[in-house]
Amino acid sequence: MNTYVCRFCRQPSDPSAPTCPLCGAPVDIRDSVTDSGWVKQPPIRDMAKLQFGQSHVQIAGTMVPSAEFNLAQQEMVYFSHHVLLWADPATKLQNMSMRGGWKRMMAGMPLIMMEAHGPGHIALSDNHAGEVIALPLQNGQSIWVKEHRFLTATGNIRYDWTSNDIWYVTGDDNEQETHYPMGQYGDVFTAADRPGLLLLHAPGNVFIRDLQQGQSLLIQPSSLVYRDATVRVHLHLEYPRNQGFAFWRSNFDYRNIFVRVTGPGRVAVQSIFERPEEMDMIRNHSYATRHRW
Amino acid sequence: MCGWCRANNQPEATSCVTCGAPLDVRDKVSDSGWRESPRLRDMTELRFSQSTCQVEGELVPVAEIALAPQDGVYFEHHVLLWKDESVPLSSLKTNGPRRSLGGMPHIVSVANGPGRIAFSRDAPGELVVLPLHPGMELDVREHAFLLASHSITYSFIRIKGLANALHGGNGMWMDRFVTSNQPGLLILHGNGNVLQRTLGAGEKILIEPGAFLYKDSSVTLQTKQIQLKSGMLGHHNMYLAEMTGPGRVGIQSMYVHHGSGE
Repeated sequence: MNTYVCRFCRQPSDPSAPTCPLCGAPVDIRDSVTDSGWVKQPPIRDMAKLQFGQSHVQIAGTMVPSAEFNLAQQEMVYFSHHVLLWADPATKLQNMSMRGGWKRMMAGMPLIMMEAHGPGHIALSDNHAGEVIALPLQNGQSIWVKEHRFLTATGNIRYDWTSNDIWYVTGDDNEQETHYPMGQYGDVFTAADRPGLLLLHAPGNVFIRDLQQGQSLLIQPSSLVYRDATVRVHLHLEYPRNQGFAFWRSNFDYRNIFVRVTGPGRVAVQSIFERPEEMDMIRNHSYATRHRW
Repeated sequence: MCGWCRANNQPEATSCVTCGAPLDVRDKVSDSGWRESPRLRDMTELRFSQSTCQVEGELVPVAEIALAPQDGVYFEHHVLLWKDESVPLSSLKTNGPRRSLGGMPHIVSVANGPGRIAFSRDAPGELVVLPLHPGMELDVREHAFLLASHSITYSFIRIKGLANALHGGNGMWMDRFVTSNQPGLLILHGNGNVLQRTLGAGEKILIEPGAFLYKDSSVTLQTKQIQLKSGMLGHHNMYLAEMTGPGRVGIQSMYVHHGSGE
């Protein structure tokens, strides 16, 4: 009887294997936990294999890892077309039907999703130095993923996308600009009728934290990689006390922009993120908590 | 024998003296036959002609060359990291205007020994050390070669076919390195991780053109079009490079997608 639960993918796993067969996390290492409770996601070992259905995926490389699929007959994965690294000519490639093409294009999201059908081999990789994260999803489990972090998912995982509703407006009466610090839309993946595998790619290192009911954290909006569907998110604005070094700025335009994530559930952040934008005054914003020091 | 470059080494050696590949670790080969290029250990030293090359760093590695008298290396001028004052620089005779039109560096510089000189590119990745035996021809994606030893003949070839040039994502030219009766050393920089596969005669593989790094000249390249429909927004064409063996193909896992720029 297998009683081991992988500490990273939270699925029953095989304690005798060197790596978790579902998510590739090494089994024989100690947790690397910071004093404040962030757990470092261990990189998937070079050439580790993950099983899904009758197929498997092998992670090759450590700097910009590629995910190499050996797809069985009747099984498929889907992905954004720009992450395709190579394919066997035998692998059937086709595009996936998508709703809301116009909105996706206007929001800068990938317009075309491709499907690769087995039997055959195919490899995918993103173009940042970082890590591949494997998230096995159980039947009915749903997860939110920041846009452009998605690498691929197995065919039985349903793909949807939703407005993040995290925004603020800067500018003056003549010209205004709406900013989406977490992206305008997020990807939502749900294991529809049976377990599936979701692969993400995150630049830099990845850290995970489990939030208790009502526990909250402030994080850089662009550093969020994924979160459980139970975790709530909204904008948080902080205005540091003006100590005279920026006297031409009022308390209202010199600010830090965070998102507040509130448990229960899991959140993951990446160590490479976009730097905050220029500090123009915020004229309007989505629901936010505020603090002035 | 080194599994990467096939050079013979002393039994007690821990890294190959010709290409620097660690000899005391197993080759990393995926199920479909892609082999990771050897991850060179920090400060690994290798030899070519009478000179040595030391590889320093792991994230953006540097190749530091100690050139013997009579030896030389050539390189694109912007990869030069530092050099001894005494090392003379000159330029290689190329068809400059033609190169410029193709977006390749106008000048290929040459450094001659004796003295020390170091090179690096500006992206996280790996150095791929390719010792060339006499009578070899290797084609390399433009802007990917770091340096080559003086015994290697350098030329550049135009990628044939309008579809290849316009949609191939490899640019219009490839660097070609040829050895005649002398061996030589070629070092490339691959972005991210580098993988190599040897194709049998007639065996084909489809590759994202931005990921292509190098190939034996016996491997042919042909652009293949895949049409993708996106509902009311029409259709998009996707282009992949179809490589046909026999020979080696090298790819890099980090690249700029030629179609989307992502």
